[in-house]
Amino acid sequence: MKLTYCLSGHPTLPCNVLKFKSTTIMLDCGLDTTSVLNFLPLPLVHSPRLSKLPGWVSKDGTINLEKELKECAGRVFVDSQPEFCLPEVELLDLSTIDVILISNYHCMMALPYITEHTGFTGTVYATEPTLQIGRLLMEELVNFMERVPKAQSATCWKNKEIQRLLPGSLKDAVDVWTWKRCYSLQEVNSALSKVQLVGYSQKVELFGAVQVSPLSSGYSLGSSNWIIQSHHEKVSYVSGSSLLTTHPQPMDQSSLKNSDVLILTGLTQIPTANPDGMLGEFCSNLAMTIRAGGNVLVPCYSSGVIYDLLECLYQFIESANLGTTPFYFISPVANSSLEFSQIFAEWLCHNKQTKVYLPEPPFPHAELIQTNKLKHYPSIHGDFSSEFRQPCVVFTGHPSLRFGDVVHFMELWGKSSLNTIIFTEPDFSYLDALAPYQPLSMKCVYCPIDTRLNFHQVSKLLKEVQPLHVVCPEQYTQPPVSQSHRSDLMLELQPPPMPYRRCSVLNLPFRRRYERVYILPEVLLSSCGCPGRLPVLSYKQSQYFFGDGC
Amino acid sequence: MDRECVSALPRVCEVLAASGGSLPDDTSLEKLLDWFTELSEAGVSLLEACPCLLGFVSAVVSNDAASEPSVLSFTLKLTGLLAASEDGFKVLQDSVLDRVFDFRHWQAAGLWEDPCIRIGWIQGLRTMLQHSQALDFFVQADFTEPLLQLQTDTSLFVASAASQTLAHVLLLCQSVPSPEGRHRETIPVETDGKYSAVVAGFCDYLKKSLVPKEASQLHGSQQVLKLLAKLLTRAGPPLRDRLLLTVSDPLEELVTTNYSQLTLPLMDVILAAHSSCGGGERVARLLSVMLSARNPADLVHAAAAFLRSSHPDPDNRARSAGVLLLPLDVITGLALLGADSSADQHRSSVMEQLRRKTSCVSMICISLTNVPQVTSTAPDCLPCSPAEIVSAVLSVLRLCSGDSPSSSPGCAEVLRNVTGSGRVQKCALDALSALSSSSGVKVLLVEVFTLLIQYLNSPASDPSVIQKSYQVLVKWVDVCADLSDVTEQLREDLVQVVRKRVCDVRWEVRDSTVEFLGHLAAAPASLASDKEKARNALECLPGGRCATVPLLQEALQDPEGYVRASSVSALALTLAPSWQQGAAPPQQEAEIVTRLLEILSQDTQGFSRRAVIRFFVAWISSCSSPSSCSLLTQSIPSILSRGSADLDWEVKVHTLELAELLLDRASESRRHPYAVTPDRTSTHARAVESDPVSMLNSLVDQGVFSALLSGLVDCDRPVGLKACQLLIRLRDTVCPLLLGDQDVSDALVSGSRASCELPGCGWAREVRRILGTATAPRNVHGADGLGPEDRGEEEEEEPAVRVGVCDALRRLRLDERLAVLAQSSDHVHNSPLSLLQDILTVSRTKTHLDSQLGQEVIVDCY
Repeated sequence: MKLTYCLSGHPTLPCNVLKFKSTTIMLDCGLDTTSVLNFLPLPLVHSPRLSKLPGWVSKDGTINLEKELKECAGRVFVDSQPEFCLPEVELLDLSTIDVILISNYHCMMALPYITEHTGFTGTVYATEPTLQIGRLLMEELVNFMERVPKAQSATCWKNKEIQRLLPGSLKDAVDVWTWKRCYSLQEVNSALSKVQLVGYSQKVELFGAVQVSPLSSGYSLGSSNWIIQSHHEKVSYVSGSSLLTTHPQPMDQSSLKNSDVLILTGLTQIPTANPDGMLGEFCSNLAMTIRAGGNVLVPCYSSGVIYDLLECLYQFIESANLGTTPFYFISPVANSSLEFSQIFAEWLCHNKQTKVYLPEPPFPHAELIQTNKLKHYPSIHGDFSSEFRQPCVVFTGHPSLRFGDVVHFMELWGKSSLNTIIFTEPDFSYLDALAPYQPLSMKCVYCPIDTRLNFHQVSKLLKEVQPLHVVCPEQYTQPPVSQSHRSDLMLELQPPPMPYRRCSVLNLPFRRRYERVYILPEVLLSSCGCPGRLPVLSYKQSQYFFGDGC
Repeated sequence: MDRECVSALPRVCEVLAASGGSLPDDTSLEKLLDWFTELSEAGVSLLEACPCLLGFVSAVVSNDAASEPSVLSFTLKLTGLLAASEDGFKVLQDSVLDRVFDFRHWQAAGLWEDPCIRIGWIQGLRTMLQHSQALDFFVQADFTEPLLQLQTDTSLFVASAASQTLAHVLLLCQSVPSPEGRHRETIPVETDGKYSAVVAGFCDYLKKSLVPKEASQLHGSQQVLKLLAKLLTRAGPPLRDRLLLTVSDPLEELVTTNYSQLTLPLMDVILAAHSSCGGGERVARLLSVMLSARNPADLVHAAAAFLRSSHPDPDNRARSAGVLLLPLDVITGLALLGADSSADQHRSSVMEQLRRKTSCVSMICISLTNVPQVTSTAPDCLPCSPAEIVSAVLSVLRLCSGDSPSSSPGCAEVLRNVTGSGRVQKCALDALSALSSSSGVKVLLVEVFTLLIQYLNSPASDPSVIQKSYQVLVKWVDVCADLSDVTEQLREDLVQVVRKRVCDVRWEVRDSTVEFLGHLAAAPASLASDKEKARNALECLPGGRCATVPLLQEALQDPEGYVRASSVSALALTLAPSWQQGAAPPQQEAEIVTRLLEILSQDTQGFSRRAVIRFFVAWISSCSSPSSCSLLTQSIPSILSRGSADLDWEVKVHTLELAELLLDRASESRRHPYAVTPDRTSTHARAVESDPVSMLNSLVDQGVFSALLSGLVDCDRPVGLKACQLLIRLRDTVCPLLLGDQDVSDALVSGSRASCELPGCGWAREVRRILGTATAPRNVHGADGLGPEDRGEEEEEEPAVRVGVCDALRRLRLDERLAVLAQSSDHVHNSPLSLLQDILTVSRTKTHLDSQLGQEVIVDCY
């Protein structure tokens, strides 16, 4: 049986389970955090504005959820600790999973939920940067939640009868009963202790039946695609890959050739936005704001695109006369993230690797730190408050604007039209992210930088590697809803790709032609009465039979 | 002709005839021929002025086996030049002409294989064929046949030269100069027995070679068609009719065979036939077929060629316009063509072509590129109004940005081909620019503005697309000078996008943004609400000049030299109105002047420094009175001294232009009641400035005189020339006045009053040397015999001296200097004498080396 169970409906935060050669393999473990957009932000400092928001009561007054739901600028938000939408856990028994293959640090954020609460006893495979940076992101998430604890937990709104009467996005939210609060640090540590490190092209044998091997995917530090193969069958798992020349090692395309099935996930979320163009927009908007005397807020993850942003700014600062403008990076893991990026030289692109031998730090943000142009702090409290100087540029999390230090800056700078918030992470709708801060005077610029493959690139890639079958999220088989005329923003393949959605179970279209079998000599001899004659092997109803060849 | 050249030429001829291989370089013979051609064109009889040339030609052709092919080729061309005059022809005809142009001889000698011999033969003939005797010679020698064979020569240069010569021969056949050479007479080709063989031979050739028998002959057909088009354009009725009669059948065959590569040359031929005589029904029919019955890709080429020919044929213009508009109609879904358009029959095949990426982009680009020709057609020939065409172009631009779906059914695949295509975007923007002046399009101003701002704002826009968008915007602002229709919001959006783009990562974008601001400042525009006020487009934007000047000031710090230069120029255009009104805020003015002087003295890029000087020139030109620009007046000495000391010769020339402007102003001030000198009371100024001495002193104080003197001794010729011209002007206008007004002794005293200090170093040292005021050179060589430079010491500065201005102007020997400076820097190097001497020198050196080598060989043998 070659089955795929699709546990996530999010194409860039996948979680699929592949049953292949009696082995159950989970491919990625993405956590859909867009659910947090339904919650009120968690301010680090008491916010009179947020605390005075009116509670929600239905128009006819029959439902009163004043304590759970708050109204802000015509929208309703849950006033509770934010919760996440987990991968589907009911579709199959997750304790039967043998291994989990992680492709990049963004796609492992649900790991503690799987490894700690489902009876999972297997092994997780990931590269070292994926593990280390994934750990940082998890620790940061836990820190963001735990430092602003919220006593109350809102559950009444999840009642089906009530939910269907709620306004806006809350009414349409799916599986709200499965939403979970953030895991603890202890769970993170326990989950990550199950990770076994692998290097690119390293072959890992699973029970002698299947061999798995990670390949560089070019998207982020240590990011991988996976080859899963038996003696005569090959499945490629392509997740979050990039062909652009950024900091990671380039994508290994040739090893994907001759696949029977290629599972394709993690394409760019903004196919119409060219990353170079967006980087340019980012810089010009930043310079424009600073020149006008305003501050710039960049809500971002603490690893990934921020390295490229800092590298771009390193070149841009002088040319735009921004040499005296302070750049702040605020995150509980800011220091570790910046340092980790410099030590994973073997996972970097060739140019950066050669710098290490000079010896020079591979990323230029080291020089920005050395020259005091970039300063990093674990939080707005402490040293930062004494050294804070405006106008400035602040990079901080979380990109959802619901928790983390970014909430403070939104409250601080939101009222001035001189300031600008520049969204660079593509994971959240910027309009939804800004909703609880309305009315807002600060300028808003949307420059999503998503370096993952676009449809044009993936078409070329698939022509090159020529898999027999392609399996992909159903979103890739039709143009985006907002641009239904763009037939170039979808996959057009022959044969057509097999689409999947959350909770789909697909039977992979293998045509088995050969199988390797090992037969003990005794079995062989006992199955045939005539000495010197070999028995005949036959196959009926998925079983092999030895017959007497005499 | 130079006497020295006349005496050197026989030796050069000897050298060339004997050993043509030893030439200074490959171009020597070409230069020599150019010189002879110049002499000939100047009316010099070469054979009389240089009798040795005849001997040279004879010597070379009689000893052709020993001659270099390049010398032989040169000889053939020279012979043609000598025989181009009737007298020269007679002399040569009696001696060497037959032998020189006997191609069979060259073939027999095995030299014809060399393309340079063939091209020498062709060009020699071409040059010679200027008169009837030469044409008779050509006909009698039956050169038509070899010339036709050379049309398909393996060397493209030979084939092209042969084609041009053939056309020349045929045109000469129909119109040879009279024996007196005063007027031309038309010879009826068909009846003139002498030349009919030539025409007949060519007609046979046309019949045989016009239609390709196989694909490999397509290139040959293309060449023949080009030749035919050339002939039909220039030939008179008898020859033209004969040619048309000959080619009618082959042309018809070509028109129906649909060779795409031949579409354009074929169209050229048909249009030439059609234009020259109307061509009759047959040509009209061929044209009609070309514009209707070919595949869509060829059809748009043919239609574009027809519209470009500006032929006033309403039916075909309408048909061509329809053909060119059809791809736009199909892709945008806008009904540009009327219901009964003849082009409509091609709709499905056009759609088919548009589905293929290459043909789609090419076809749309041809349509867009020829939109100006389409709109230049009479309105009653057009199926739609120019405004509808503008809407279609805007629609194409929207499709390119991927933001809007096409309203045309079945266009999803086509859309994919144009989405993000920079080529289509640029063609569409060019078309939009050209359409700005069409009638009735102003109603679309808001739509155009909206789309262009969207393009300027888009992160996906290429720098060249952004630059074009700016240019189109300026064009539309220029045409629609009243910007009232453009909403406040749109104008605000434009300001916002400019603010963003001036900070762009790409310097090309910053540069075009800054340039755009300058163009806006120069574009006259107004708002209806504010009609009485004459304004420019920049003033019509929110914030006006106050909002943009800080952006330009910021751009003065840009790391890219081009951007700094553009921002300086844009600032000049932006501030010009305030200079005229004397309204620039003093603080801002001071900041700008300080920064510009910094650029002038510190900037590493010449562009920026040149722009700074031009800025000051513009400012001084606009300045109505010194009191309104006192800061500028104070800065003039700094500008002139920094500009004169620049390393870039263009900066120095611009500085001299500034000095010239100040000279003009000073001259004017003698007649007008204001001057460039610092503030004084007007009555006093009038009294003083009418005095030339005072004017000279003022120029000296401003540094004008020093700038002119330093320019005079500058090592760059254009600088020296300009300075010399200005100093002569100053001398001729001021010094005679001084002499005329007073007696000589007074003048000398006055002159000494208007004096200038010459320091003891740099350019002044050279001026002092010329003036003879330098102190006697001291014995600065030490005991070691080395001078200060050898010892790494700086030359000792001499004390400054004062010289009278008029006295200096008289003693500088300016007229002599001007004569020298007026000649080009390489006039000695490029003179004919230099060329002749070079040839002789190289020959001598080679002979010397050969003899040395021979001796060494002998020595080696021992």
